[in-house]
Amino acid sequence: MKYFPLVWNGLWRKPARTIFTVLSIAVAFILFGILSGVDAGFAHTLEVSRLDRLFTDSRFTAPMPLSYADQIANVPGVTVVAPRSGLFGYYQDPKNFVYVLCADRRFFSLRPEITISTQQLKTLLQTRTGAAVSAEQATKYGWKVGDRVPIQTKTPQTNGNEVWTFDIVAIIDDRNYPGGSGWFIANYSYLDEGRVAEKGTITRFLVRIKDPERGGQIGRQIDKLFANSPVATRTSSERSGAQAGLQYFGDVNFLTSAVLGAVFFMLLFLSGNTMLQSVRERIPEFAVLKALGFSDSSVLSLVVAESVLLCVLAAAAGLLVSKLVIPIVRGPLADFLLLLQIPWSDMLLGLVLALIVALLGSLLPALRLKRLNVVEALVKRQ
Amino acid sequence: MGLRAIPDRLGLSLVIVIGMALVVGVTISILSMSVGFMRSVNNTGRIDRAIVLSHGSQFEFASAISRDNALAIADAPGVGIAADGKPIVSAEYVTAVLVSKKSDGLDAYVTLRGVGAEGFTLRPEIRLVNGRMFQSARHELIVGKSARAQFEGLEVGGLVPLADGDWTITGSFESNGDEHESELLADSETLLSATRANTFHSVTVMLKRPESLEDFKAAIATNPALAVDVYRETQFLAAQSKDLNGFLTLIAYVVGGIMGLGATFGALNTMYSAISARAMEIATLRAIGFSGTAVVASVLAESLLLAVSGAFIGAAVAWITFNGNFHAIGGLVFKLAVTPSLVALGIGFAFTLGLVGGLFPAIRAATLPVADALRAT
Repeated sequence: MKYFPLVWNGLWRKPARTIFTVLSIAVAFILFGILSGVDAGFAHTLEVSRLDRLFTDSRFTAPMPLSYADQIANVPGVTVVAPRSGLFGYYQDPKNFVYVLCADRRFFSLRPEITISTQQLKTLLQTRTGAAVSAEQATKYGWKVGDRVPIQTKTPQTNGNEVWTFDIVAIIDDRNYPGGSGWFIANYSYLDEGRVAEKGTITRFLVRIKDPERGGQIGRQIDKLFANSPVATRTSSERSGAQAGLQYFGDVNFLTSAVLGAVFFMLLFLSGNTMLQSVRERIPEFAVLKALGFSDSSVLSLVVAESVLLCVLAAAAGLLVSKLVIPIVRGPLADFLLLLQIPWSDMLLGLVLALIVALLGSLLPALRLKRLNVVEALVKRQ
Repeated sequence: MGLRAIPDRLGLSLVIVIGMALVVGVTISILSMSVGFMRSVNNTGRIDRAIVLSHGSQFEFASAISRDNALAIADAPGVGIAADGKPIVSAEYVTAVLVSKKSDGLDAYVTLRGVGAEGFTLRPEIRLVNGRMFQSARHELIVGKSARAQFEGLEVGGLVPLADGDWTITGSFESNGDEHESELLADSETLLSATRANTFHSVTVMLKRPESLEDFKAAIATNPALAVDVYRETQFLAAQSKDLNGFLTLIAYVVGGIMGLGATFGALNTMYSAISARAMEIATLRAIGFSGTAVVASVLAESLLLAVSGAFIGAAVAWITFNGNFHAIGGLVFKLAVTPSLVALGIGFAFTLGLVGGLFPAIRAATLPVADALRAT
């Protein structure tokens, strides 16, 4: 530690060079931070999609009869079956797309991540035209509890009207579930009693099973029940659906690791060069240190310490900036991907990577110093 | 003269070359996705075709057009007439078929499009390359080249399970690498009865001339029975792909911009070191009468040469690795395209970064007091 001033002054021998090196390393770690936020978003999406939750959908586009629910519930291993249907529509402008999810009490026991209080749920179930909406949507359209919200759809009601009106009875706090928001949950009975066509039908059954390990088997059993029915089904776990969804853009993992690989290659080169240059300029100074009695290894560790200090400080600064930037760019990207804050493990990984870059970068200059001939170097000084 | 000394500072010079090569390579590779995607989308659209969706629908799946409406649309003025006297119109029904991907076995949906009898007069770009055309009233369909390449079991002679039983794939087609190559095609009436639906999703018409769109639109708007929106096909597809394309471009610019910033700092570093190594030489030049401008030019030339040669290397690597590779976004398969304009963009980008990286050190070199520099050693 007592050599810290020596190392520090070594770094600032040429301020411009150090500043530019620090800036380019920091910038690379900003990119690292943002990409790790993207990765964290993907991991989160997979994590919240549960293996013990199956979705039974119609194998083709025709909706399924509500009566399937009882048959599915009889399959061994199934604990809860929640039917849900929906309305596609918009609020005021076709751009404001709204999906009204129509379900009953069972839906909420299958999706415990929806934070709705017992009181709110009771009000929702008692109000025929009630709706629970996510906070994000409520803020976007300025909805408050008690508001009547008209949704323009393509589904006619018995009176011919295609506008369905809902009373907002609850606003669901979704801050802890970024990306899982956009809920607009209404009562299935309101939809089914009101609509003209497709009465008594369901577009998806959510199925909770006891043993997540048996998801595939139970799914096949459910589908077998209806294989010869007019409407065949297809059951898959929530997790496999999420995996397929993440593949939407193609191999994102490959893309991020390719970019990061390129960036670190560049960094290694850059920091290595900076150290090589700085050591070359100071050869006479190191010779003096050696002449004063510094051992080979302590001179060597001075150089390594300098490189480590440079890289790790710069990396820490870069990671810090990306932590500050992520909340700002999250909004504009929300339609395409979920950007989360950098996990602590990735912060640590970043610092370790910086350490590796620093060690590799100081390898060549350190070796050069080791071979240093003190007398020659001192003589050259004249 | 400064250029000839580059080999002496090889390590430092390589910082610029490699930095720029990486920046340009990565940026071009990401942009090649967006260019290939847009090329596929643009190939699908023609300015003399129009698509009709029900009012307020943003995409085909959300639209519903009744049989009566489809007939009224076909009879509207401005619609092209085939040799046999029928209007060139296709009322279409789209549905999704569950398949699995060849690459990783994951589930995916491929679009099955039911087209009207005039569907192939409407889209002359669709060419059967294998097998035969489907026949109406039979459970038959044909598969696009990209869909066949990407998904399991979509070979000619294969069976596709639909709501009312298996449908046979009787042929495969090419379509100038457009969106339809990622689809299955069948007869719309047969498909409607198989899925027990009675409304179409969209109607696409051939216009007499590209300018006939206004007549067609006006006639549709004045028909009180029709609550529909009319779009020129090119505009509709451009609007559909705007968000995704914008996203890809944004990613390319964010990643490229951040890496570019890093590379610029690297370049500044290199050039400052270069002039400090050449301080004596530069001062001598100034002392014997070379102007400051000449010194600036020599430093700039060095940084630009390094930056641009790095850009060429990056562009070449991106071209060799990615050009012509297939990529899939959603169900759409397209070829990545590293075009000359992308390469030019990359080189322009590197040129700008090289300019920034060289300019400040160049000015410093030119303004250094000559006497001090000569005395220092």
